[in-house]
Amino acid sequence: MDGVRVGKRVIGAQAPVIVGWENMPKVEGGPVKRFIFTWFQPTMLFALLAFWYYAPNSIAKASTAIGIGIGFKILLLMLEWVNPRHGSWRLTWKEFTTDLFYVGLGYTVLKTVDIYIGDGAIIEAIQNAFDWEKFAWFIGLPLLLQAFLISFIFDFGQYWMHRGMHNWHPLWLTHAPHHYITQLNINKGAVGNPVELFLIGLGVGGFFDFLPRAVLLAGTLRLAVGTYQHINVRFNTPRWWRFLFNTTEHHSLHHSQDYEASRSNYSGTWIIIDRMFGTCVDGEAELLGMEGGRRMSIREAMVYPFTEGWKAFKERYVRSDRPVVVPAE
Amino acid sequence: MNTRFIDWIWHIRGSLALAPGQSSDEAFDKLDPLFREAGTSHERSRDTLTFRKKDQAAQDKMSVFDGGVLQIETGAAGAVLRYHLISRALLFCFLAPLLFLSFAGLTIGIGILEKPSIEAAAAKKDKKKEKAVVPLNPIDRFLGAPAPEKPKKDDKDKSEEQKKKYSPTPAYVFAGFFAILYVVGRILEDRLIKSLFKKKLLDQ
Repeated sequence: MDGVRVGKRVIGAQAPVIVGWENMPKVEGGPVKRFIFTWFQPTMLFALLAFWYYAPNSIAKASTAIGIGIGFKILLLMLEWVNPRHGSWRLTWKEFTTDLFYVGLGYTVLKTVDIYIGDGAIIEAIQNAFDWEKFAWFIGLPLLLQAFLISFIFDFGQYWMHRGMHNWHPLWLTHAPHHYITQLNINKGAVGNPVELFLIGLGVGGFFDFLPRAVLLAGTLRLAVGTYQHINVRFNTPRWWRFLFNTTEHHSLHHSQDYEASRSNYSGTWIIIDRMFGTCVDGEAELLGMEGGRRMSIREAMVYPFTEGWKAFKERYVRSDRPVVVPAE
Repeated sequence: MNTRFIDWIWHIRGSLALAPGQSSDEAFDKLDPLFREAGTSHERSRDTLTFRKKDQAAQDKMSVFDGGVLQIETGAAGAVLRYHLISRALLFCFLAPLLFLSFAGLTIGIGILEKPSIEAAAAKKDKKKEKAVVPLNPIDRFLGAPAPEKPKKDDKDKSEEQKKKYSPTPAYVFAGFFAILYVVGRILEDRLIKSLFKKKLLDQ
């Protein structure tokens, strides 16, 4: 495989990838289907933003957001069924059950752990130690600007945490299990070692005081944009959207079996952050995963950072007493 | 212990009549591609095929199974393929509700332990400071966004919010999900494997 030169790097020398929007397939089918899968993403984004902007206070609550989030994901699962991007990414019973297990961990055990050591707890401790009143101006900004800043600042932190995970071995060990997924589906974002899910959730946006409605609007950006990172649906995504926002195309390249391709597109919602730092590659891949597509079991995903960390520690710090074997010549 | 009475939870057994005149070699040849997937090893004798899978890909059509035996028996009515397949995924899904129920118990336990500190924190926060009402930005007022509510004074809501953090409800919901998923999976995977074997055996 020759690969494609993108800047100083060669992408796709180890595994097949497509680079460039002009080379990517479009939605196939009749005019109604093409219309739906061209306009679905922007319509849902603007409809949800309008809902949260104008909803009365009695409705604009976190519980409503959870309900909408679940409903939206069920709708997207149905779209995966109707218009899959790749037949090889079709959701099976086993894949769905496995993904749901990780989602379940996030809603139960991890949520409880997060109360004590999550970013909320850390931020509260720092806020109590300093006077943060000077950040009060944030709350007077227009709602959509507040929402954009909350979303962008969080994603900016997440970008560097994610990039760090791909560049520093101890952090990589927590993130590696997520890269053993071999297909993208709606709940695949939850698949990984819990330590990683905790690290990636750390954000600095919480330092600011903001209006609850702005948080709900920022959450909507994550739901109506970030969710498309892991989805098996082919859309004709508008040009402005794929310039600003992360897409399943970008993220499939990030999960590609090609090493160089996987070192791109680190952001969660705002791909423009990758463009700012020169890590964005516009393209897509079907063959995903590590070690040629080996699927990691739940048991291995749970212990991987610790077992591999121990191995790396032993290699580095524990002297081996075994005699060195010199190859005969 | 004889697990025969409970192993139907994660063992799938079934049988399929072969086409008239189809030999065991021909039948296994047709099924052979299913056992050439990554992570799959298999052994074949004249009338028995044993396979084992490890870290099988999601794209493997038999990914839900981790091992099994296929045997061809010849009777008076003709040859029959009998299969006995083992799925750890089905066992895991069967046990998952128990795991989530234990998470629910754990959450309730932590909630009870934390109750005094929740009440103390709610009382403390109330005394601390009252946030001023923030006017909406003029742009938002012009566009018609509802004004934010005045900060609530009673500590009842705050302690309710704190208590919600220790709610076992999500764990109960997921326990329910996995119970339903198990029933669906046990029936679905049984049917799917039968139709897959049938399709492969009848393939011209």
